[in-house]
Amino acid sequence: MYHIALKMLLGNRSKYIVLVSGITFSTLLMTQQCAIFCGLMLWTTGSIQNMRSKIWVTDPKVEQVNEVRQLRDTDVGRVRSVEGTAWAVPLFWGLQQAKLADGTFKQIQLVGLESATLVGRPYDVVAGRIEDVRLPNAVVIDELAIIRLSAGRAKPIGLGDTFEINDREARVVGICRTAKSFFGMPYIFTTYDQALQFAPKTRKMLSFILAEPAEGWTAEATARSIERATGLRAYTENDFFWATIRWYFRNTGIPMSFGITILLGFAVGVAVSGQTFYTFVLENLKHLGALKAMGASDGLLARMLILQALTVGFIGYGLGIGLTSLFGSLVLKKGEPPFMLPYQVPLGALAVVLFICIFAALLGIRQIRKLEPAIVFRG
Amino acid sequence: MAENKNNYAVHVRGVSKTFGAGTTAVTALKSVNFDAREGELLMIVGPSGCGKTTLLSTIAGTLQFDAGEIDVFGSALQKMSKSQTTAFRRQNIGFIFQEFHLIPTLSAVENVSVPMLINGASRAAAEKKAHALLAQVGLEGRGHELPTSLSGGQQQRVAIARALVHEPRLIICDEPTSALDKENGARTMELLQQVARAPGRCVVVVTHDNRIFKYADRMTEMEDGRIARVHEIKDGQSPEFIPN
Repeated sequence: MYHIALKMLLGNRSKYIVLVSGITFSTLLMTQQCAIFCGLMLWTTGSIQNMRSKIWVTDPKVEQVNEVRQLRDTDVGRVRSVEGTAWAVPLFWGLQQAKLADGTFKQIQLVGLESATLVGRPYDVVAGRIEDVRLPNAVVIDELAIIRLSAGRAKPIGLGDTFEINDREARVVGICRTAKSFFGMPYIFTTYDQALQFAPKTRKMLSFILAEPAEGWTAEATARSIERATGLRAYTENDFFWATIRWYFRNTGIPMSFGITILLGFAVGVAVSGQTFYTFVLENLKHLGALKAMGASDGLLARMLILQALTVGFIGYGLGIGLTSLFGSLVLKKGEPPFMLPYQVPLGALAVVLFICIFAALLGIRQIRKLEPAIVFRG
Repeated sequence: MAENKNNYAVHVRGVSKTFGAGTTAVTALKSVNFDAREGELLMIVGPSGCGKTTLLSTIAGTLQFDAGEIDVFGSALQKMSKSQTTAFRRQNIGFIFQEFHLIPTLSAVENVSVPMLINGASRAAAEKKAHALLAQVGLEGRGHELPTSLSGGQQQRVAIARALVHEPRLIICDEPTSALDKENGARTMELLQQVARAPGRCVVVVTHDNRIFKYADRMTEMEDGRIARVHEIKDGQSPEFIPN
């Protein structure tokens, strides 16, 4: 009887298209918005991804990576002396102004790496050498900087070109690829000492301390040891990543904004697909009554409805995920807007679509259970 | 199925059915006694609202009755649970409806195969038998067509094939010719007459159509929820006193 159920569904072309479209649109809306949300949340952790370190030491009040409260220079030595720490280096991070060739200004994220080790260096240098950043006034810029800092130039900024950071000349010695950041500003890498020259002077200049656990120590144990010994805050890379995302969840309207759209997708799915499927069942009630009169049990008819609902659900879901992936592949080539589709998103959407299908089928099953087979004898 | 000792296909005693309750209650059947024999085509006639369709529904096991007993080929419907009644209908009763109730998105052969599929037959076996039945009712080679591309008479023949495909013993027909012209009505009744003559079968027809009275072996006339008269039909002569 299951092929009969499918023929009943597919034969009603207009209802079938509306049902599949409802689920497709619902899946697209939910997964695409979730993916943009995940991508945006990932962007908030751009600095953690670009300056990889197992342990990040910060001021005790710092809750996320984009929030900097400067430390004292002497804190580096204090952290180095803590049991369980293999090494610790200073890191400068700050928003600065770059002056372009046409005289306009752009904000940049200036990163100062400890000059001996270059810990926190970009992981993918596509032109030049990162070691050259030790040269006077040398900087390594990311690919976004090429777009942002090329205004007023005959050709895009490249190796050997110069620009100004806070009225001080910076020479490009390398180009790297970085993860995008929430602020949408390019990353400019230099040494820690030169970063202090580029940045306006303040009483304290040290943004973070990057540390490595000693052999036999886990990052968690070393972080706890640093916190106990120094009173500073020490995050493992993973903890800092999630602390940053949690902070944006709690302190911004972003989750609410995306959540409303995702809920809208769910509502569209329930309303359009649920209602259409229910109408489909009502339109077929006489035929279902005839099947019931001919001896089809409630169970058989319910299974037929569930098969119809799931068929619509899986086809609509597949199309929706396909469209989201297509959107994602186009977006990732362009770099904006943010997009990340972790496996949990399609899985979650599948669960929601299954819920919508089962809900729609249950509405129909309820009708079938109430349906008296004698209905077929009434005109 | 229980042994059928009395040669009755359908044996109804004291069956009553009331719809609604209180002041809006309508009694459709009032202690009805009624029999249909094996090998006969029995018609139930009477004015609109007299309880014909309600009686047909109770005999078919599609409507529960309030009081009385109904035996169909020796099986007591009143003793069956809902699921047992469903299983009984599935195996023993074929239906021909006034509006055909063919599923519009299925081909003729698929429509005919439905009762066998409900009984658990394989798709191949059901469709093979359906093709054979369609040939018997004069629709050979039309099995792939959708109901909408068939005439009313052809659709009714598909419905008859569907009612017979699983070889039920009791065929229940509700106004089988009301949507058909004279010629198609006659062909339909000739087919049903042949079916009724098969051993161990019975056809019960509810109708208003006086053109087909002559095909009955007996006619049961209903009035106001009761059996008023039973007429034996001899030599194809329909009794003229029966209301149209």
